[in-house]
Amino acid sequence: MTSGGLAVHEFTVALNEGVADGLMRIVISAPELAAALAPGQFVNIHVPGDASQILRVPLSFSHADAAAGTVEIVYAVVGDGTRRLSEMTAGETSTAVGPCGNPWPTVPAARRACVVAGGVGVTPVVACARMLAASGVAFDAVVGTQTAGKLWGTDVLEGLGAGAVAVTTDDGSAGRRGFTTDALADLLAEKDYDVVYTCGPEVMMAGVARLCRDAGVRCLVSMERMMCCGFGACGTCNVAMADGTYKSCCKDGPVFDAEEVAW
Amino acid sequence: MAEKNVSMAVDLGGVCMQNPVNTASGTFAFGSVFEDFFDVSRLGAITLKGCSAEPWPGNPAPRMCEVPSGMMNTVGLANPGVAGMVEQYGEYLAGLEGRGCRVIVQAAGHSVDEYVAAVELIEELCPWASGVEMNISCPNIARGGVLVGGTPESAAEVVRAVRPRVRRPLLVKMAPVRVPEIARACEAEGADALSLINTINGMSIDVRTRRSRLSKPTGGVSGPAIHAIAVRMVWEAAQAVKIPINGMGGIATWRDAAEMILAGATSVTVGTANFYDPACAADIVDGLSAWAAEQGVTDINELIGAFEC
Repeated sequence: MTSGGLAVHEFTVALNEGVADGLMRIVISAPELAAALAPGQFVNIHVPGDASQILRVPLSFSHADAAAGTVEIVYAVVGDGTRRLSEMTAGETSTAVGPCGNPWPTVPAARRACVVAGGVGVTPVVACARMLAASGVAFDAVVGTQTAGKLWGTDVLEGLGAGAVAVTTDDGSAGRRGFTTDALADLLAEKDYDVVYTCGPEVMMAGVARLCRDAGVRCLVSMERMMCCGFGACGTCNVAMADGTYKSCCKDGPVFDAEEVAW
Repeated sequence: MAEKNVSMAVDLGGVCMQNPVNTASGTFAFGSVFEDFFDVSRLGAITLKGCSAEPWPGNPAPRMCEVPSGMMNTVGLANPGVAGMVEQYGEYLAGLEGRGCRVIVQAAGHSVDEYVAAVELIEELCPWASGVEMNISCPNIARGGVLVGGTPESAAEVVRAVRPRVRRPLLVKMAPVRVPEIARACEAEGADALSLINTINGMSIDVRTRRSRLSKPTGGVSGPAIHAIAVRMVWEAAQAVKIPINGMGGIATWRDAAEMILAGATSVTVGTANFYDPACAADIVDGLSAWAAEQGVTDINELIGAFEC
């Protein structure tokens, strides 16, 4: 189920810039799309220029600014689609299908949350932090990357009022050497969270889910899959559930309760 | 406009369509989600995701990878079962029929018994459906690597078992192998129309991990990459049988659809393109109508098989 307004939206690139090693930030102008998107949903972008790449590129966003009519997407350059996206320049146009998927849910009566981002998972986590800030939920953040050069978003999270922003890197070049789960374990021991929101590599989210389960804290995860349509038609983006069934990442997710997922 | 004068209605083995444009099973879900993109009732027909008598979970992830000019899938016919489909979408689909778009229900199975069970449930629970398509060619559910419809004999066996139980037009979705022989075998057993082609079995290997890029070694290739092959197979089938052909394989534009019609397809079915250009089926209706007018015919049927060598 989507929040409505699913359509093919035309957009114009407002800017497209490098923000860290292998990470780009594109801002697209698409007023109807910007107004329709809720944090945690995603868009499915057509990158023009190569007819041999037929499928769209599904991407989470970090900020849907209804007032400005823009959508900010921080994305990793990993394949041909995102490489070609990284070459789009201001003024170029294309289309995006959206809103796809379900938003991050707000948890009733939650007062304090923690958001945990690994790698480019920081993008929907920043969108989540915006949602929490707007609804008056206090939050801390953990941001982990392989190395300092790949970090993005800590200043944004601080600007949104994060109580603490813990940084971890695999090589220790920024923040604490180690994984986001190391930092989260300490935070869970110190503070009383009502909910943890996370997006990152699946192995990291599995670790976050385990820590939350042990601490008795609800955990919401944003999953990623190879997918075609983004709106429930192709059936390719299945996520295995703990009860032995599959759910669709695009239509039932991408946000799932960690307890539902078969890690 | 000139195209208003062209009659676009076609008769696909008893499925009377207001225009030749149909959607391929497994690419259009159960239709409703596409209403967000365009008025689905503008299409001649839609073909539903294949349903079996019991729900099927389908294959593990990853079920999809991209290949040049196409994609490959191993969804494995994940479906809610006929009853589950009817419960969720029956009302919408009955309404869609009322709005002028024909609904073709696809039956899935691994064996003759499973096909029979699926079509019996469809006959019972889908009174609104205009036709039943039997998919005997899904490459992702083959048991022991053998397709149910991979030989004329096996195709004939399953059509023979199902035919008396289907009171509505029966379409058979064929494997892209031994096309003339299998087409003739299905026609001889009473199929009303033939749908082709299904995906072509392919492989894609990640050379770093040495693993398949799908959760299975092989998957079905679809998209523009297979279009030329599909046109050839539709042409071969149209030569081999008298029953109408529901042509598909890499149709993304009205030109692709027009090619299929010239090769001998009565209806043209949009598949993979629905994923990346979700309103393209409606655009193809408009494009075909304009093309027929430009070709100077008054009835689209005049262009079926009008290919000149």
